[in-house]
Amino acid sequence: MIELFGVTKHFGEEVAVDGISLRVAKGELCVLVGTSGCGKSTTLRMINRLIEHTAGEIHLDGQPVRTFDEVTLRRRIGYVIQNTGLFPHWTVARNIGLVPRLLKWPRQRVRERVEELMALLGLPMAEFADKYPRQLSGGQAQRVGVARALAADPEILLMDEPFGALDPITREALQLELLDLQARLHKTIVFVTHDMDEALRLADRLVVMRQGRIVQQGAPVELLHAPADEFVASLLGGDTRGLKEAALTRVRDRMLPLGPRLLAHERVAVDAPLSQALSLMLWHRVDRLTVVDDEDIPIGELSLRRLVGSKT
Amino acid sequence: MSRRAVVGRGLRLRWWLGEWGPLAWLGLLLVLCLGMGELEGPFRWIEPDSREVLYARSSFLALLGQHVLVVGLASLAAVMIGVGGAIAVTRPFGRDFLPLVSQLASIGQTFPPVAVLALAVPVLGFGTLPIIVALLLYGLLPIVRNTLAGIQGIDPGVHEAARGMGMTRRQILLQVELPLAAPVILAGVRTSVTVNVATAAIGATVGASNLGDPIISGIVNGNTAYVLQGAMLIGLLAITVDSAFERVQRRLVQRV
Repeated sequence: MIELFGVTKHFGEEVAVDGISLRVAKGELCVLVGTSGCGKSTTLRMINRLIEHTAGEIHLDGQPVRTFDEVTLRRRIGYVIQNTGLFPHWTVARNIGLVPRLLKWPRQRVRERVEELMALLGLPMAEFADKYPRQLSGGQAQRVGVARALAADPEILLMDEPFGALDPITREALQLELLDLQARLHKTIVFVTHDMDEALRLADRLVVMRQGRIVQQGAPVELLHAPADEFVASLLGGDTRGLKEAALTRVRDRMLPLGPRLLAHERVAVDAPLSQALSLMLWHRVDRLTVVDDEDIPIGELSLRRLVGSKT
Repeated sequence: MSRRAVVGRGLRLRWWLGEWGPLAWLGLLLVLCLGMGELEGPFRWIEPDSREVLYARSSFLALLGQHVLVVGLASLAAVMIGVGGAIAVTRPFGRDFLPLVSQLASIGQTFPPVAVLALAVPVLGFGTLPIIVALLLYGLLPIVRNTLAGIQGIDPGVHEAARGMGMTRRQILLQVELPLAAPVILAGVRTSVTVNVATAAIGATVGASNLGDPIISGIVNGNTAYVLQGAMLIGLLAITVDSAFERVQRRLVQRV
């Protein structure tokens, strides 16, 4: 659990973070989002003391971070940054094993852990262990970055725009992988991004920051339904936020069981987001889709009326 | 200054350097040192009017030994002080001195080596010591400059990650900064040592005895043969040293 109480950071005259309070529960994925310069990265880096806060208190599991030795503290917290920060002169395996080695784990245990993590992140040992970072694609390199952060099995993971430099397709794949990992590992994650779609997709709790302050926080759907002000509304996409909300809802939640009518010709997967269903309807100019399961077997139907949630 | 640019300058001279390059050059150097007498014929042809055409005041091997010793000592000290100094000014406690040192290192490069010696003599007197000190000072500059360039050229993300993962300052220096900067640092050491092999010869004018002796003596006595003998040996020594550094450097670059 991470708690911030009235945390402030001054850089000389400038106030980067202005008295923010925040509580990230154990196992929660908290996304800090905002325009550049809003203090979200600074906030993240104060948690592992890469930046020291000027005032206020930051607690990990109830203990102020100031009371930890900073090196010990950082070894307990996973850290992933945008350009991976992999050591170019070390192989993938050596990069991943960094923190366990710093913690003086026995050699055998380090090797096993590296193997386990590479498997977890879909990097076959035989192919990748002895490669150097420059031989990896952006997506592979960032997987290694995530593996390195997870190496010593930290409870907390700090991620600073980790997917920001990747192409949209790789980015989306890694976002889904992260959700998948999180479902298995239940880490406490603080994730910084300026990409609202990414934020909405990943967040258990979304924290919108502006000029060093928290403007609003809550579950993504709550924010979409009731943005605190114009700024939050525009950040969430203004008039297109209906589509963003549709991207968070699954077809499963709106479909009806198969009725007596003939099956509609166009199909949509049961776990697809509503936005995809809407797009299919727009594309094929129809107002009804057949919902199918993983094996492409029809299990229900979705009408435009149901999709938009109309009461009538 | 980019890392590639600094390293690249040395690598372009690859043409004289095969796998056994350094050893071959060393062999040629020693053979010439010991067998200079065999070349009496050609030297006599070059200098028909002189009674002596082979420099004989001291053996070439002894002069070579002196030369290597002087350059070696000066370079060793220059590496320790230069790398140490550059590391110190890139640490938090020494950061205030970084601009000063960085500027001195650049400006110092424009200073001609002869002038360094001319200034060293009144302060340190004649003999071998002033040469060592002068070479040390002159050799510091490329080392400092390249060490700074090497350390500052490291991707800030790598540094950030190293801190964020919980490496101590010492671990960051030894496991990250120095290995990554090594090729650039070595390029600086190479420049420093090679230039000093040549500069040390000028030391003969202020009383040091080394491979510069035959040259100075040849100039004073109008004996071109002496000048050639000294120049050939110094040239060979410089090439030997340079090609040896090239080998090591190429290994390092391959690794990173």
